[in-house]
Amino acid sequence: MRRTVHNAALWTGVVCPRLALEGAGRMRAPGNDAAERPRAAHDTIGGQLRLVAVDEVAARMGVRTGQALTDALAIAPTLDSQPRDRRAEAAWLEDLALVAYGFSHQVALTGDGVVLEVGGSRRLHGPLDTLLASLEEALAPLGMTTVLGVAPVAAAAGLMARAGARAETPDELERRLADWPIERLELAPAERRKLAGLGLKRVRDLVALPRFELDRRLGQGVGRYLDQLRGRLDTPLVYWQPPETFSRLVELPVPVRRTEALVFVLNRVLDGLEHWLRVRDERLTALHVTLFPEDQGPKIAFSAGLGQPGFQRDRLLEILRLKLEPVRITADIERLKVEADSVSGQRPPQADLWSGTNINDAWPALLDRLGARIGEDGLCGVAPKSDHRPEKAWAWTKPGTTAVAEDTPERPAWLLPEPRPCRIDALRLIDGPERIETGWWDGQDCRRDYWVAHDERGHRLWVFREYKPRDGWFVHGVFG
Amino acid sequence: MPPTSTVYASTRPISLDHLLADRDDLWRGRRRRPAPARSTGHAALDAQLPTGGWARGKLTELVPDRAGGGELDLLLPCLAECTREGRSVVFASPPLVPCPQRLHRAGVDLARVLVVRAPDHALWAAEQCLKSGLCGAVVAWPQRAQVNERAMRRLQLAAENGEAPLFVCYPPGCPAPPSLAALRLAVHAGGELEVLRSAQGPGAGPIRLAPDNVVPLAARRRALEARA
Repeated sequence: MRRTVHNAALWTGVVCPRLALEGAGRMRAPGNDAAERPRAAHDTIGGQLRLVAVDEVAARMGVRTGQALTDALAIAPTLDSQPRDRRAEAAWLEDLALVAYGFSHQVALTGDGVVLEVGGSRRLHGPLDTLLASLEEALAPLGMTTVLGVAPVAAAAGLMARAGARAETPDELERRLADWPIERLELAPAERRKLAGLGLKRVRDLVALPRFELDRRLGQGVGRYLDQLRGRLDTPLVYWQPPETFSRLVELPVPVRRTEALVFVLNRVLDGLEHWLRVRDERLTALHVTLFPEDQGPKIAFSAGLGQPGFQRDRLLEILRLKLEPVRITADIERLKVEADSVSGQRPPQADLWSGTNINDAWPALLDRLGARIGEDGLCGVAPKSDHRPEKAWAWTKPGTTAVAEDTPERPAWLLPEPRPCRIDALRLIDGPERIETGWWDGQDCRRDYWVAHDERGHRLWVFREYKPRDGWFVHGVFG
Repeated sequence: MPPTSTVYASTRPISLDHLLADRDDLWRGRRRRPAPARSTGHAALDAQLPTGGWARGKLTELVPDRAGGGELDLLLPCLAECTREGRSVVFASPPLVPCPQRLHRAGVDLARVLVVRAPDHALWAAEQCLKSGLCGAVVAWPQRAQVNERAMRRLQLAAENGEAPLFVCYPPGCPAPPSLAALRLAVHAGGELEVLRSAQGPGAGPIRLAPDNVVPLAARRRALEARA
C-alpha cells in the first residue's frame, strides 16, 4: 500500500485584495443608501488625497486606483469614498490570523494577509482540497474577500495567493514562476527600474542570469529573495502568536450614538473574540466596554458579566443591548474599547439529549439577562441569619444561596424592613409574649416582648413592646 | 381465552361521561376540558376552583385587602411544592420582606427563591422568567401605575409559553383591570377568600381555609417545660 507523504512543508497564503476598501467600511452599520453606490477608499499620498482602492461599480464608472479624490468625484459624483483605516485593517488581519491559527501553529502576517504552514495539518484536516475548503468556510464569516494560494515555501505563498494559483511541489512552483512578469515579485521600486533597464521582463530571465552578475548590478538582496522563493534558502518569518488578553480599540469611521449602530460594531468585535477564545482555549466571564464620545466628553463604561463562563453570541448581544438601552448617550461615540475577562479551560456546551436545551446553562443565562437590565443588586435570595433580634435574623443574599433556618417560634410571612412605631389601643393582643433579650455583647442590647395582634379589620400583625433601648410599641411584620 | 363480558364485569362500573372525558381526541361541544393545574395545597380551595387548583400557564389574579394581606400564606404550599421539584419561584417586587424562617418552615427551599427588588422592572422580569419556561411559579406585585390591561395581557401571553402558574397581586385599593385571567380571588383579613371571577362565574360565598397548625406560644412554652 502506498502512503502519501504528509510531512513535506506546504504553505498556504491568504490575501485580502480589497483590504483597504473593506477595512474602511467594516465598522459602518449598513444604512439605507448602501445599495449600488460606488465605493472607494482614499489616503494621503504625497500631500494629496488619492484613491487606494475602488469597487466594481466605481471601476465601471471609470474611477481608477491612484486617481486624485477630486478627479474621481468629478467622474462619479455619487462616489462614497472613505479614508483608509489602517487600524481597522490591522484589527481585521488579526482576526484573520486568529482563524488561520485554528489550522496551523505556524502563522505569519504579511502586509495584506497571512501565510500558514499546512503541510503538518493534513493528517488532521485531510487532503489539501478538503483543508482549503474548510479554511475558506472558516474565513467566510469574517466578511472579507480572500484569495487562497499554495506554495511549498513561505516566501512564495503570498505571491501565489495574489495570483490565485497553486503549486504543491518545488518543480511546479519553478515552472509557474518562470512565466511570471517580474512586476509580480515583491521588489523595491529602484530594483524594478534597474531590471527594466536591463531589459528583463520574465522571472525566467532573472533566474537565468548568473548570480555573480545579478549581485554586482543589484546588490545581494534580489539574489537572496530569489533563493527564498525557490526554496533554496529559508525564509525568516516572525511567527504570529495570539495575544494573552483580548482587548480591542475601535475607531468608528462615522461617529454614532444609535444603539443599533453600536451593537453592530460590538458584534464585529465579537467575531474576533470568538476566535480568540477558541484559539486560546478560554471561556469568557465578563466583557468590559468603554465608549469614548467626541470632543473628549466623559467616557461611558459598562460591563457585562456572565454567570456561567462561555461564549454564546446571541446571549451576549442581548445582554449588551440591555446594558446599552438605559445609557443616555448625549454625544456621538467616536471610539470604543472592548476588553474581555476569561478563565482557561474550554467546556463545550452540553445540551440535553431529548429537549436540546440545557437547564443548567439556561438558568444562569436568565439571571444574566435580568441582571443586565435590573442590576446585580436587584436580584437576590433571602436567607436567615442566626441572630435573636428578628430584624437582624435575615439578609438579602445572592440568588441560589443555600440556607437552613433555625427553629424559631412562629414568624409572620412578611417582615417590615424596619420595625415601625404603632399605637396599641387599636390592637387586640392574641398570643404571646415571646421575650427577646439579647445583643448586650455588641452594645445594641434590647429587651422586647413580641405579640401576635389583630388590628381593627382583623389582620394579624406581629408587634412588640420594647423596654430597652427605647420604650414603646412597634409593628414588625404581617401574617399573611 | 375468557369471554369479553367477564372482563367488563370484573371492572368497576364507569360512567360514560368518565370514559369520554379520558379521550383527548373528542371535542364535546361547550364543555371544556379542565386546564392542567397544580394543587393549591388547601383542600377546601381545590374543591372550590373549577380547575381543581392553580391553573398552569395561566394568570391568577389576587386582590388582597392590604399589602401582605394573606396572599403569601395562600401561595406557600404551592411554592414549596415547586421548589421541592427543583424549580425556582420568583417574587417580583414583593411589598415587604418575605420572612426566610417562615418560608423555610413552609417547606420552601430558600436556594430556589429569586426575589426581584426592582419595582420599575418587576413586570418585565416576571415576563422574562415566564418566557424562559424555567420557573416553577412566578408571583408579581405590580405598582399601581403599572396595572393596566395591556401589561396584564403581555404577562398572560408570556405565561402561556410555560407551565408555571402566574400570580399577580394587585396593590390594595387598586381596581383590577379587565383581563383574560381565568381566576380572580379576593383575599380578605383572616385568610378568607372570595372567588370574584372564574370559568364557572363568581363563587357562592367566602371560602375559609383550615387554619395552619400554628402552635400558640403558651402551648409551645408548656411543651418545652414538660420536656425539661
